[in-house]
Amino acid sequence: MPRRIVSPPPALAAPPVSNTRLAMVVVIAGESMLFAGLIGMFLVFRLSRPWPPADLPRLPLGMTFLNTLVLFASAVPMSRALGAVRRDDRPTLVRALGLTALLGTTFLSVQGLEWVRLVRHGLTLGSSMYGATFYVLIGCHGVHLLIAVLWLAVTAILAARGLFRAARHAALEMCAIYWYFVCALWVVLFPLVYLY
Amino acid sequence: MTHARRSLALTAFLLLGAASRALAQSCAMCGASFGPNDPTSRAFSWSILFLMAAPYTIVATVAGFMFYMHRRSPGRRRATIIDLARAARLLRRPATARGHQGETP
Repeated sequence: MPRRIVSPPPALAAPPVSNTRLAMVVVIAGESMLFAGLIGMFLVFRLSRPWPPADLPRLPLGMTFLNTLVLFASAVPMSRALGAVRRDDRPTLVRALGLTALLGTTFLSVQGLEWVRLVRHGLTLGSSMYGATFYVLIGCHGVHLLIAVLWLAVTAILAARGLFRAARHAALEMCAIYWYFVCALWVVLFPLVYLY
Repeated sequence: MTHARRSLALTAFLLLGAASRALAQSCAMCGASFGPNDPTSRAFSWSILFLMAAPYTIVATVAGFMFYMHRRSPGRRRATIIDLARAARLLRRPATARGHQGETP
């Protein structure tokens, strides 16, 4: 009887990208296009006229640089939170999420204070295209960051109630992806608006 | 080449030659409103280039992420590696037991 070489049947495997991650990727791609449109608008005004206008205040570079470090530092506890949920370490998870939310709130508060100072110095949304592009672009990022902080706060409360486990933490992962996204946006926006 | 084809090719060539200057401009309004080195038209050009590149960059990033996740996934199906020399040896060897159907190298 002739021999046959039979391959073992392929094992059924889970999809490489889960549905929640895929949904988050789609959301982030849409958000990226929103910011691409805003950056395109900024480039038109930035490249077509003297920038910044001579009669308007300069943006606070030093304070915003320190604030940027605060925002980037918040990515560290976020990754610690992900590590903690994979180890089922609830106290570390709650602490790390709380610290991330605190750093995000600090960033937003400092930005708000700087905005108040700029408005007092005459840089408002209607004062010039310089003010309009600045407030629209940075304000849009601020709104996204505010949403991310609120999401983090809700996630931290759910984590404290013991909702996330090593085997089941898709909601936390989505929150982390969104947080990394708003941090990565600032990598583009800070040099573009403050340094360029 | 027939006369009609030759006329068509000549017309296409003339049209392309005439259009080369128009192709280098932006839209008709920008071409008429701004000079050749106007900062506004340059700003629009850079902005258009950026906005053209953005969707491709995003799609490429998403595709790269998917590919990376697929490569990283532990349960992904791999091709069965068959040692051809061993398989040939096994095929040459007579069956030892009756009713023996197959073997995986």
